[in-house]
Amino acid sequence: MRFSIKQTGCGSERIGNLTGFLKSPGAEIETPTTALFTQGGSIVHLTAEVLSQVFSNTKLLWLPLSNSIHLETGVKVQNDGVAKFAGLQGHATCTTLHSLSESTPMGHFELDRVPLWTKNGKKMISADRYMDVMEIFKPDIILAIADGRTSINEGGKRLSKSVERSYTMLKTCVDRCKTSKELQNSSLVGVVVGSGSEKKLDDSISNTLKHVDSLTGIALQGIVDGTEETMDIDSEILNKLLDKVGKAFPKDLVRIFEGHWNPSVVLSAVEQGWDLFDGSYPVKLTNMGVALKLNFDITKDNDTMYLLDMIDERYKEDFTPILGGCECLACRKHTRAYIRHLLNTREMLASVLLSIHNLHHFDQMFCHARQHIASNTFAVFKQHITKQCEMLKDFAPYRYKAQNGPNVQTEKPSSKKKKQRLVSEVKSNNGS
Amino acid sequence: MGSATNALIFKVQAECPITRARAALMKLPHYEVHTPVFMPVGTQGTMKGLLPDQLETLNCEIILGNTYHLGNRPGVDVLQKVGGLHKFMGWNRALLTDSGGFQMVSLLKLAEITEEGVKFRSPYDDTEIMLTPEKSIEIQNCIGADIIMQLDDVVQTTFQDHDRIKEATERTSRWLDRCLKAHKRPTEQNIFPIVQGLLNPELRRQSAEEHITKDVNGFAIGGLSGGEAKDDFWPMVSLGTEILDKNKPRYLMGVGLAIDLVVCVALGVDMFDCVFPTRTARFGCALINKGQLNLKQKQFESDLNPIDKDCECTTCKNYTRAYLHCIVSVETVACHLISVHNIAFQMRLMRTMRENIKQGTFPQFVKKFVNEVHPDKNFPTWIKNSLMSVGIDIMED
Ligand SMILES: [Zn+2]
Ligand SMILES: [Zn+2]
Repeated sequence: MRFSIKQTGCGSERIGNLTGFLKSPGAEIETPTTALFTQGGSIVHLTAEVLSQVFSNTKLLWLPLSNSIHLETGVKVQNDGVAKFAGLQGHATCTTLHSLSESTPMGHFELDRVPLWTKNGKKMISADRYMDVMEIFKPDIILAIADGRTSINEGGKRLSKSVERSYTMLKTCVDRCKTSKELQNSSLVGVVVGSGSEKKLDDSISNTLKHVDSLTGIALQGIVDGTEETMDIDSEILNKLLDKVGKAFPKDLVRIFEGHWNPSVVLSAVEQGWDLFDGSYPVKLTNMGVALKLNFDITKDNDTMYLLDMIDERYKEDFTPILGGCECLACRKHTRAYIRHLLNTREMLASVLLSIHNLHHFDQMFCHARQHIASNTFAVFKQHITKQCEMLKDFAPYRYKAQNGPNVQTEKPSSKKKKQRLVSEVKSNNGS
Repeated sequence: MGSATNALIFKVQAECPITRARAALMKLPHYEVHTPVFMPVGTQGTMKGLLPDQLETLNCEIILGNTYHLGNRPGVDVLQKVGGLHKFMGWNRALLTDSGGFQMVSLLKLAEITEEGVKFRSPYDDTEIMLTPEKSIEIQNCIGADIIMQLDDVVQTTFQDHDRIKEATERTSRWLDRCLKAHKRPTEQNIFPIVQGLLNPELRRQSAEEHITKDVNGFAIGGLSGGEAKDDFWPMVSLGTEILDKNKPRYLMGVGLAIDLVVCVALGVDMFDCVFPTRTARFGCALINKGQLNLKQKQFESDLNPIDKDCECTTCKNYTRAYLHCIVSVETVACHLISVHNIAFQMRLMRTMRENIKQGTFPQFVKKFVNEVHPDKNFPTWIKNSLMSVGIDIMED
């Protein structure tokens, strides 16, 4: 896989492309962009058939090992890479250890192994074991295994260990990538950790720089540890971090920023020159029964909410689409009232329709971002989106609902009280 | 007579020279349906995570909705405002709704049946509600399905009390008259009467003979597939198809297992519905001719075959058993994928039967099918006897 920068904007923002994928040599993915988040190798809630109706071009699949390691046996037998095994041949893949948006129990670490939290509990995993799986999965992009699940408020001792352990593991990943025949077409991405301390972050940066010739990109971890509280970071601090780490590395490395950050944070990262996002944000919204509805037109005022809590009573007889003019299948054929009914009756089609719209719409945000970079108007676009996010600043629905979305049929709807708090928050914010 | 005929035109295209099977075209207000047909059940206005577009791709021509559920959510008001269930769920082909009575009796233990209707407590707000034949039709008129069902007096199939069965059978006929009288949209919707009588041949005959005198466009055979022995089941189906008008469609309620479909088509049934194909998908079971594969089993861990190599569904073209094994009961996608296959399986079986009827090879098809399911020729008696009754001797080569 190759990354090249095609154009830069007024600031650090840039347009690039990813090419040279193993299974789709002719494909090009323009950046900045979002990957499509997967679980068990599949796009969450969407079969390959439905996905092909949402996107017709090659997409990058984001594959955390924590939810896909159980595919190992099958992928090995088939011996044609993880995307093919998951029925998504033709799409590019990027693997990582964990998803930063899933919360896991407090870590227990060993000298050369980190915990991998799977649906079947904890597995301790070494860098060699990680690379063994990579040889079987054959992804286009490999994020080096790292001890990166520390928050920005983490204590110094833990951070030292995190930086030290990540460096040792990076060396193994680099060695294995160089020597493995299976991984000749995979690109390694270095993971910078230790964001909680300037000193530790510097250490991690210089460690990673030692291997920069073997890297196609960098990712920044050590900001959130999976709990939702750690997503509340002062945007100033985050911007400084992104700026510092971005500038510390050669420009032509693709920069990856993980986590289900809201559109405003994502576009700030784009402004700092970050290229690739993991796609967990639209999945999170879908699992909460929320639709994303940004106003991309910078000439139009922001007068409505950018998140719709679709189970709200107000949509009961609303026979309009989620977003008028949206070209996604869900908006072309279905109404808010129908989606609301499906959520209310806990039918799986609710998640399918919300996924279709949210994935399409989030992808559209990046299309617009690239267009604005190309025409040197990115700052205006970013400001326009940030304003919409500020209107709902306190809307943090992920705090009130667990990861279990409306698709869980065996359970009673999530606690009424929590739900009401969520709804009233949206209402009280309406019009502010 | 004139008004009712508009909403359904049934044209028999081919009849099996030996059995009672026939292939027909059933023209409904929203779609022309090819029978014999299997109708997947989409209880709450949706089919287990599948888009209406996917159902069209799967060649579903008519699907079911449940009046009881739809009447509660989204509710009659919403359906009225949007202009019916077709519009609400974005489905442009034919729909059939049940009367709501079966759900009430099976779901709600507190239901009480009187001559007026079914009285029960709402599970939503605990108020007492009376579902009368008139009310059932009113809701179904609002939902707007192409075919709607009369409210019937439901008794559990294995129930033994003769007096109660007799009462239920006769009441069902009285309720039919009330339903027909209450029907407000006869040019757009067809009421099907339900032949009752459980496992009592005399009562069944009485019920069917009463119903064929009514001005209706098709009939249902109800009260079966409720846990009775198969040897008791098929003679009741046969009795029904024998009496019911040959020029009108016959719908056997709640039947959908492959072998049952084959036998009952031979007995002259045209329409079937069953929750089984989509319900079993949720538990990771994929349908094949011989029964089903439980994809959870470890034996599929390294099996790179599709569920069924002869199946042309998008699941079989794109996914292996090994992959499905990995995600089954973990990812919603697994449920969608198996549902697609299971519906495709039902559709393909029905299409194959229609083609064989048209080509005059239906008896051969039946023999081949039952031999595939029972290669040891150890046929259950009900299969032997039922097929023998329509002229197929599966023991001879
Ligand atoms: Zn849309
Ligand atoms: Zn199939």
